[in-house]
Amino acid sequence: MSVAKNIGRRVVKRLGASVPALLGVVVFTFLLMRVLPGDPATFFASGPNAGQEEIDELRRQMGLDRPMYEQLARYLYDVATGHLGRSMTTGQPVLADLAQRLPASLELSFFALIIALALAIPLGIAAALKPNSLIDHAVRFVCTLGVCVPTFVSGLLLIYVFYYLLGLAPDPTGRIDIFAAQPPEITGFLLIDFLMVGDLAGWRAAFGQLILPAFTMALFVLAPLARMTRASLLAVLGSDFIRTARSVGMTGWRVVIVYALRNAMLPVLTIIGIVFSTMLGANVLVEKVFSWPGIGSYALDALLASDYAPVQGFVLLIAAIFVMVNLAIDVLYGIADPRVTVE
Amino acid sequence: MKFHSPKITRREGLKAALATAAGAALLPASVRSADAQTRSETLRHVMAGTINSLDATVPGSTREAFGAGMSIYDRLGSFGRKEVEGQWTFDFDNIRGELAEKIDRSADGRTFTFHLRQGATWHDGTPVTAADVKWSLDRAVSAKSLSAAQIASGSLAKPEQFKVVGDRTVEVSLDRPDRLALANLSIPLSPMFNSVLAKKHATSDDPWALAWLKDNTAAGGAYIVETHRPGQQTVLRRNENWKNGPEGKLPFFRRVIAQTVPEAATRANLLERGDADLSIDLQASDIDALEQRGRIKLVAVPQTNGFTGIVFNTRLAPFDNPKVRQAVAAALPYEDMFKAALFGRGRRLFGARWTEVPSEAFPQRLPLNTDLAKAKALLTEAGYPNGLQTTFAFAAGAASAAEPAAVLVKEALAKIGIEVTVQKMPDAQFVTLQVERRLPLFMESGTAWLPAPDYFLRTYFSGEHRWNFSGFKNAEMDSLVQAARFETDPAKYAAACKRMITIAATDVPTVMLWQPNQDAVMARNISGYTYWFHRQVDYRDLVRA
Repeated sequence: MSVAKNIGRRVVKRLGASVPALLGVVVFTFLLMRVLPGDPATFFASGPNAGQEEIDELRRQMGLDRPMYEQLARYLYDVATGHLGRSMTTGQPVLADLAQRLPASLELSFFALIIALALAIPLGIAAALKPNSLIDHAVRFVCTLGVCVPTFVSGLLLIYVFYYLLGLAPDPTGRIDIFAAQPPEITGFLLIDFLMVGDLAGWRAAFGQLILPAFTMALFVLAPLARMTRASLLAVLGSDFIRTARSVGMTGWRVVIVYALRNAMLPVLTIIGIVFSTMLGANVLVEKVFSWPGIGSYALDALLASDYAPVQGFVLLIAAIFVMVNLAIDVLYGIADPRVTVE
Repeated sequence: MKFHSPKITRREGLKAALATAAGAALLPASVRSADAQTRSETLRHVMAGTINSLDATVPGSTREAFGAGMSIYDRLGSFGRKEVEGQWTFDFDNIRGELAEKIDRSADGRTFTFHLRQGATWHDGTPVTAADVKWSLDRAVSAKSLSAAQIASGSLAKPEQFKVVGDRTVEVSLDRPDRLALANLSIPLSPMFNSVLAKKHATSDDPWALAWLKDNTAAGGAYIVETHRPGQQTVLRRNENWKNGPEGKLPFFRRVIAQTVPEAATRANLLERGDADLSIDLQASDIDALEQRGRIKLVAVPQTNGFTGIVFNTRLAPFDNPKVRQAVAAALPYEDMFKAALFGRGRRLFGARWTEVPSEAFPQRLPLNTDLAKAKALLTEAGYPNGLQTTFAFAAGAASAAEPAAVLVKEALAKIGIEVTVQKMPDAQFVTLQVERRLPLFMESGTAWLPAPDYFLRTYFSGEHRWNFSGFKNAEMDSLVQAARFETDPAKYAAACKRMITIAATDVPTVMLWQPNQDAVMARNISGYTYWFHRQVDYRDLVRA
């Protein structure tokens, strides 16, 4: 009970401490967008006879005709009251856009992370058990390859082989077969929604759409996970308590999995947190290649168009997620290592 | 905190993860749910951009929104289409009634009477009235939308010009017989709205319901919006009660899916696999290979109402000097640029040899030819015997063609002593600097919706608006564009246009390079694709064999 209470207190405290950081992010992004060259009003005033009048009208609509401090004050007020402005690119409120797109990005990132972990941890263990062996080199090679090939190349390659040549994968656009009926909208996570309404065919279709993009992302983050598992496990395997465990005659796998791996997981957990946050923010290319309606491609389109509101909303969202993920990792720390005190 | 048996949970977790990965690898291809019949009557259009507004007249609308608007809304008139060398293009000289079944033009050319089609209804089933048309036209000239500036180019500017003269009759009067008045009522920016429905959603801040119409429709066109997810897809359903097509025919496709697929390679893959039916924005470099593999049909139409050119800022030294502009124009390696940038996929606007303008058509091929000796002489004459330094800018969005061209420009201009720094900029930044007239030399493209020579010259070579990219100011040109606009005598009109073309050719505010093809790639069983002045797909034209 006290553990739960401790965790709860810690969560509240950490969330409180993150408010100034988030505020800083909001103000910084706000200023950065306005310092960058490129005027959204001019860009969007692209009608066949757009003149200065139209540019001024757009500027007025976006509130850009007001002094900067007033714009900032209005924006902060909007954020505090739960509004993030309107996107010019899609014409929708930013909050609605992000709410609709975030589950797509989260689902993809989660699934990719699961695949990456399922591949990286066994690879890391195998490499650590036989350092400098052929297996170790093979693992290093695979990891290097994963990092070296940019995601849009591996994504296009996977599409070419599995969709274009072999015809095994469904058409690589979006989260669901375009000709199929609209998916149920409950949580926004299609795999969960289809299960909730008991539509197994729909679930399999959504799952099929997810595989290629998720693998593309998993390949890219394989290296940090596998390398960290290997390094951390190597260090633990050389420590005294492992020697002791071996000397009392415990079986090899028990020593490795139960004693060594658990202790080696701490740095890996840290990396998982970083990798996950990075995946959410940086999977733009994967989202572009697979027409995945996620937040990354949304923010990139907005950035290219100097569309302030969506970019600011996106950065705020990612910052908030970063805070949450770090918090979750800290809580997991406590579970993985009882010695980590709550403070 | 106690963990007596962590191994079990962890091992199970690992097992589950491995099982998921294994399952992923074994899963068969997706389940197709739509049956063959509806698939063949469904058109799937994949595009790079997004339909960001259902009302094309809202400021900030994308080009894709213009295309969608044509199918969702009707206009009073519509351009016809004609088949030239086996390809359909729009016919600017042949305007038929769309929502109007008959259009009368008075002898002095100053009054148009529109007789609305008997039995025409809106999507909600209510009949189209003259009051709806009056409201729509008033909105076009009064609301803060894209329409006002555009249709002013047809001398349509005040609500008083539009008069209801019967239940189904509307009269439009002009101060002067503007050549482009009727044409301006046939474009994406003059849609007809169901005014009863739209007015219900008007507010005191927004009396013309711009905000509501952005995400909703008050329309009566050939297609009804079924779902609209900006940035993802828009699904249209055929309006079975539509009577305003040519000969009253319904369009072929019952359903149209317009889907955003940002990656060009993915769009190409989808088309070749037969999963998508149409795309008009693939990469020029892929087109040849696609055509050779023969799984798709290619309709390549030069964009005859557009151009790509190298623009000089005529309000900034050194390019305010016509001699410097002529020197650059004589130094450019036109044919190499055409091959490198476009893979030859388009129509040349350079390389003519005439001294007297042969016709009043515009854009037409101008006497632009590579002549390094002449270029050097001109530059010396202009007072730059030792050359000069400048920058050459283009937008990142146009890089696929502009980047190879820029390399050749840099190389060629170095030969006459002009040192060029190439600047590739994010689109928004490029546009901003261009509108502020701070770029000395850059590459840009333009299209004129209404391909009348005087309109083209008026848009791109005179005035203070942004489309006069070069900031060109020439007293004779400025007076000629105004005169030509209201000229009713064809011979005088032709003479004025020829004179303006001569000015554009000798003063070279912009080096007109070429007209890129619009490469429409489609499934082999699709026919009827038509090139429209708005450069978007009109779904009403398409048929699947």
